[in-house]
Formats: sequence, C-alpha cells, structure tokens
Amino acid sequence: MTTPAKPTTGEPIAIGQIGVAKGEGVLRTFVGSCVALVLYSKRHRAAGVAHVMLPAAEGRVGAPGKYADTAVVETLRLLADFVGDTDIGCTAKLIGGATMFSFQSGKPIGDQNVLALEAILSRCGVEIVGRICGGRHGRRVAVDVATGTVTVETTEHGSETL
Amino acid sequence: MTGGNQAMLEEAFHRGAEDGSAALAKWLGRPVTLSVDRLEMLPIESAASVLGSGDEPVCGCAMGISGAVGGLLLLAADDVAALSLADTLLEQPQGSSTAWGELERSAVIETANIVGCAYLNALCAILTPENDVGILPSPPVFLRDFPATVMEAALMEQPHLGDTVLLANSEFRISGTSFRCRLVFVPDAAGLKAYAHKPADPEPRL
Repeated sequence: MTTPAKPTTGEPIAIGQIGVAKGEGVLRTFVGSCVALVLYSKRHRAAGVAHVMLPAAEGRVGAPGKYADTAVVETLRLLADFVGDTDIGCTAKLIGGATMFSFQSGKPIGDQNVLALEAILSRCGVEIVGRICGGRHGRRVAVDVATGTVTVETTEHGSETL
Repeated sequence: MTGGNQAMLEEAFHRGAEDGSAALAKWLGRPVTLSVDRLEMLPIESAASVLGSGDEPVCGCAMGISGAVGGLLLLAADDVAALSLADTLLEQPQGSSTAWGELERSAVIETANIVGCAYLNALCAILTPENDVGILPSPPVFLRDFPATVMEAALMEQPHLGDTVLLANSEFRISGTSFRCRLVFVPDAAGLKAYAHKPADPEPRL
C-alpha cells in the first residue's frame, strides 16, 4: 500500500500521514508520544516528514506512515519519487516520543517508537543527525524545506532548533 | 455489537454526560448546558483533532480508567476559559488568574474529579449494575499543551489502537459566561469489545 504524497505545505501532517516537499516551504506537525520522522536531502533541498504512531505494523495494512518499520521505507520511497532520483542521500531527525500520561504499565509507547525508528534508520543506512525526544510534553514541529532546519516548540519550555 | 448492547452503551454515555453536567452545575453553583453529546467511531486522525488543531494551548485533566470498562477520561478547556473557571471557584474577580499556579491547578483538578466521578458513576450504574468490579478512575493529572498533542497522547494510552477509535464527546457551557469545556472518554477497545459480546438484556435499563 502506498501513501499519497502531500506536496503542499501548510496543514499539519496528521497521525499516520507522510508529507514531502522540495525547494521551499514549511512542513508542520504536532507530536506527543508519536514521533516526527524528518528525512532531509540537502542535495535536492527536499524534506519528508512521517507522523509515526506505533513501532511496528505487525501485519496491519493501514497507512504505512503510522508504523516505524513501514514509515521509514515509505518516506524514503516518496522522497525519491518526488525528486526523481533513487540516490537521495538523506539524513534523519527525530522529534517526539513523549510520555504525557503514565497510566499504562510497561515501556512507554513513545520510547518504543524512538527505539524502533533508530533501529530501522540504522538498517537503512540513514544517519540520525539530530533528535529532541522524551519528556512529558507535546511538541510543535516545523521543517524549513529550503534549509532542513527543524524548529521544535512547546507550550511551557520555549523552542529549540535542530 | 448487538442492537441491544449498542443502545445500552449510547444510553450509558448519554447518562454520564448528563450527570457530569449536573455535577458541574452543582459544583459551580450555576446553570450548565450540555451542548454536545456524541458517541462516535472516528478515524484516528479525526479523533486526534476533536479538541482542535490550532496552536493555542488547552489545559485540563486526564484520568486513567480501569475496571469493567477501561480507558481514559479527559476534561479540557482553552486557557482563558479554564482560568475563568479557577477564578469562579476561588471566589475572586474574573481575570484575577493569569497563570497556572498551584491554586489554579487545584481548582481544575478538583473540577475534573467531581465531573469525572459523576460521569463514571452513571456509566457504572448502567453498564455494570451487578458487577462488583466497577469502574475505577486514577487521580486526575493536570496538563497544559497543544490540543492535538493532548488528544494524541490520550489515544496512544489505549493498548489496542486500531485505525478507528470510539469517542464519547461532550461539551458543557456555563450560563452567563463564555466558559465551555469538553469531556472526552476514550474507552479501551478490547474492554468494550468484551462488553459488546455479552448477551444483551432484553430490555435495556433506562
């Protein structure tokens, strides 16, 4: 199953969606315990953002952007299609994976999402060049497509750039 | 789910919203209108935006629910409304509270406790009338964050998350003020499924 690319910027990328853009513009999303997977190709000035919800698809056939294992592969594929080059040479940034409530026992889902993405990116040979993960608060994420700079804002703790 | 069970679930959540509304009115000493009362199955991306998708923070309280029906209960309002609520409860002029100190947080937490327990008691009375397991809330947790991230975290607390999610969504308006708040219950899908497969009562308890 493929995900329709979201070539325009503006609307936040919803849970399970993947957005791609090149040249200029801003890709935005909000994440709590989900993780924003940001892939950036400096050579093509192109960015892809997946709003990842769970660590593994485990046979589920929903939108590939929802699961860490399918989101990495699908975002790479969409970016390659979008720029028309199979050798996109991109790097990754990870934002999110918070534990805003702690009513469930066991390892928090946010931590599991981050660990799964790290493992899959490593397997795909994509270097992680920045991350702002964990904590107990949600984050607003804005990716500047022209530069690859990621601005991460919270309601209580200001903003940071990656 | 059988027709009888679905009718009983709808009745339970409706009664919960009504009792929550009545408890809020009594707690505030003002009339409260129940302006939205829906039980709906939504795609997860739509469910994540029921508190809004803007940049302005919301604040409120979350309670983890366990027992016969598990899930997460969330009472949320925008900043201005929630601070106004704190002013009302602290018996101080409107506009006095401008930031979230201990007193303001306590006022919202206590409100969530009262409204949430009234809601859950109503659910319990209808769904588990002869079940001593009951429905148990955790202590409320205060939070202030982006609407989309609050709702996303509430959904992610569910252990069996699918592509769609059942939400019980209520909105209360307090007469004579601009205050409105939202009560959202995200039932655990597995628990609800178990309930749904119970034999339905021939005549739902109303």
